Amino acid sequence: MNRTPAIARGLIWLVALAAVAALGFRHHLFARDLGVWLAAICTLAIYSILYRENVVFRFFEHIFIGLATGYGFSIIITQVLQPKWWVPVVKEGKWYWVFALLMGTMFYTVYSKRWSWMNRLAVGIFMGLVAGLSVVGFVTMLAPQMTASFKPLWASTAPYIRFNNLIFFVTLITVMSYFFFSFEQRHPLVKGSARLGRWLLMVAFGAIFGNTVMGRVSLLIDRLQFLLLEWLHVFGSR
Amino acid sequence: MERDWQFWSRRIIWLLLATATALFIVVRVKAVMYVSKPARSLYQAMEKVPPDKIIVLSCNWEAGTRGENGPQTEALVRHCFKRGKRFAIFGWNFPPGPLLAEQIARRVAPEYGRCYGRDWVNWGFKTGQANMIRAWAKNIPGVIKEDMFHTPLARIPAMRGVKTIHDVGLIVDIAPADTLSTYVRFIYGIYRTPLGHACTGVMAPESFPYLDAGQIVGLLKGLAGAAEYEKLVGYEGDALKRMPAQSSAHMLMIALIILGNVLYFRARRRGPSTHSAGSGQAGSGPSRAASRDGETPRRRLSA
Repeated sequence: MNRTPAIARGLIWLVALAAVAALGFRHHLFARDLGVWLAAICTLAIYSILYRENVVFRFFEHIFIGLATGYGFSIIITQVLQPKWWVPVVKEGKWYWVFALLMGTMFYTVYSKRWSWMNRLAVGIFMGLVAGLSVVGFVTMLAPQMTASFKPLWASTAPYIRFNNLIFFVTLITVMSYFFFSFEQRHPLVKGSARLGRWLLMVAFGAIFGNTVMGRVSLLIDRLQFLLLEWLHVFGSR
Repeated sequence: MERDWQFWSRRIIWLLLATATALFIVVRVKAVMYVSKPARSLYQAMEKVPPDKIIVLSCNWEAGTRGENGPQTEALVRHCFKRGKRFAIFGWNFPPGPLLAEQIARRVAPEYGRCYGRDWVNWGFKTGQANMIRAWAKNIPGVIKEDMFHTPLARIPAMRGVKTIHDVGLIVDIAPADTLSTYVRFIYGIYRTPLGHACTGVMAPESFPYLDAGQIVGLLKGLAGAAEYEKLVGYEGDALKRMPAQSSAHMLMIALIILGNVLYFRARRRGPSTHSAGSGQAGSGPSRAASRDGETPRRRLSA
């Protein structure tokens, strides 16, 4: 394992970067804010994966995961356990909140063969709660959407609305027929409808993918704008 | 030779993409924007909120989607400031959301002569998801208790008269994930409080059924939605400035897709002997390329 040339190359790059940074600082070419510099270095390190996987990317990836985990942990303590459990029990005398700790602890009994039945009890209670909420959600969320899918085809509306409704109707019926798996699709009508449904699904996936690309490009622009304008001060901007 | 081309072709595409976007970030070109109906509907719904009711900006986003949700939040905040609508910043999905929105509000507020406490309040991040939202609808001060700076809500002028969901004129969920369904289920479905949605481009197709069913009053789709809203509010912010770069990236990608397909079909017509030469654009290329620039160094690193 000859690692010396790689380390030497890395050091040369580091020295070159430091020299460019020092020059930029001296002539006010770059941002003088340490936070901006840190953000710029993090961005470039993460984007280095675009060339190939490397140690720098790995290092910053792990930093990010560590930061996110630590931040999440601190949020749980400061936003949940402290105000919603510790303060009521210790400072407000609401002793019955101790049972919440008991219920929470029951989840961890999954690691013991002897006590794992307690975990099932806790999981069962929460599954019941979520199932109950889902029923409410089905009625209040999906029922209006199902009602809205009944669109008029011959109503006295503008022709383009009727045309849109017709497209909607054909798409709905053909895509639903594609998902009929209870019987074999042998009849030419069902077969043709399912095939059209599959094509229309492809169109929908294309639209979704197009939106995804649009979103990702927006995020790239945000980062490039930061690097070019806030960090490098291209053309003296900001 | 072929492997070298496979290795470099993707990197050339990324470099072209970066150049196409960077060029229009540096060179300012005025964007021509068409305002879509969903964006206009959201704008009109904001306008209709009476002065005795508060607008809730549910900032369920984080730094990862700042490029899209940031300009959306700024456009909505500017609209509230411009029209003197009091609003509350709130978040319950990603902890940094309310903090990032607060930074935007504090940066913009001096331009309109607005101040914290009187014109807006930040409820901060709250845990509990759907259960919290259900309780919040019935008793806002009871669930929120204090703002993100630990000031009791009773001492904040912007909170006067705000007790239940009936005192909320509009909720706009600014989010990169499916948080809207919680509001639809437990707020619109029960109390009929108007809802708006400002989502990332990825989420936009999933939001259309809500719009079609009338469960949301309007929709901002990604950066383009933010640009449309900026045009409605009447200022040129980040979204409008970024639209030429966005369009140039889209045009480049369309051109590359067409070029890739032309090369693919030309290679296929030539026959199997030359097929591999053109497969750098499609087919077996990516897997080989991945083994060269993805797996090998990973193995080397782990060694």
